[in-house]
Amino acid sequence: MRFFHQVGVIAAKDLRAELRTKEAINSSLAFALVILLMFSFAFDPLADTTREISGGLLWIVFAFAGTLVLNRSFARELPNDCLDGLIAAPLPGAALFLGKVCANFLLVLGVQLVSLPVFGIFYNVPWTRQFPQLLLVMVLGTWGLTVVGTVSSALTVNIRLRELMLPMLTYPILFPALLGAMQLTATLVAGNPIGPGEAGWLKMIVGFDVIYTAVSLALVDTILVG
Amino acid sequence: MGRDLYYMPLGATAALAAVAALVASIGYLRTRNPRFDALARAATGTLLACLAVAILDGCFVLHIASGRWWTWDARLTAALVCWLLFAICLMLRQGADDPSRRAAFAAVWTVFACLDVPLVVATAAWWKPGAALRIEWTWPQFWALAAMALVAGRLIARLMRRWARSQLERAG
Repeated sequence: MRFFHQVGVIAAKDLRAELRTKEAINSSLAFALVILLMFSFAFDPLADTTREISGGLLWIVFAFAGTLVLNRSFARELPNDCLDGLIAAPLPGAALFLGKVCANFLLVLGVQLVSLPVFGIFYNVPWTRQFPQLLLVMVLGTWGLTVVGTVSSALTVNIRLRELMLPMLTYPILFPALLGAMQLTATLVAGNPIGPGEAGWLKMIVGFDVIYTAVSLALVDTILVG
Repeated sequence: MGRDLYYMPLGATAALAAVAALVASIGYLRTRNPRFDALARAATGTLLACLAVAILDGCFVLHIASGRWWTWDARLTAALVCWLLFAICLMLRQGADDPSRRAAFAAVWTVFACLDVPLVVATAAWWKPGAALRIEWTWPQFWALAAMALVAGRLIARLMRRWARSQLERAG
């Protein structure tokens, strides 16, 4: 119980800091809107083919906008040596990491829940028909994105070209989870529920989340201390 | 593409190098012995070389067969994603200044990348089920694999020796 209390303290601290400054969430929302606008230049936004590729478009927006939130996760602890203070604090590295993952997860999911209706309006996509299942896919996909993104944020916080390295580390490793989320989202946005044919993708995302959460928790002390 | 002599031995040699990199990375994380880091770095370099040649070979064979240079076939896609995963590992090494942090970060990322490889291969096969990963080994391919594994082993040994010499020069 003490571990989860520590996780909650870190998550609450990060959420409080972000909601006071709103620097990551505002830039992430603005970026999501800009990408949605840019897509409309590339192809006809009201064509039927747009609905077929909507899963891919939506997750590209989520992944790009999410990276802006994740980039700030450890970088905001650099001024005044706050990161050293957190590492030296009497709490396990796993609690620090999981707290940051939870805070990032809520922030990225918030950005997604705002950009999803905007996407529906701009591209005339009826996204509400299978919303509970779509929300499940968003939760699972976002958890994978935030776990891998938070690990990458911790890895890149003290290296050169931090802002460039984070997306380069995050996107290739997310390939299985992102591809699964895109396939499922395209099915759900088209109004079809997740059937036996798509259940494999769901299992893939769950497996990805479990594997990377477990391995990240096991290796996070090495990442933080070096 | 199924009868090509080189891409399967190259892929198998890359897989062997990935196993070597994974074992060396776990060894480094457990012991902090820099020899394991040198082995992981050499194995990663060998893996990247083998995968790059395999991808190029796939492109050339495809061009001869169909006139196109690229297709989103399960094998080519999986090979490209795996190549990116390990290329980033070398970039991560270049980004960190402190040698021990550099080695630790690279070891962690190698573990992450190696865990992703089976998921990437399975996902690519599901994504493009028409081009599932076929294993059709012939004797010439086995001989090619043996030759490439020997060359890869030689390359890893050479890179490790170069690392040991640079360590000695730095110390002396």
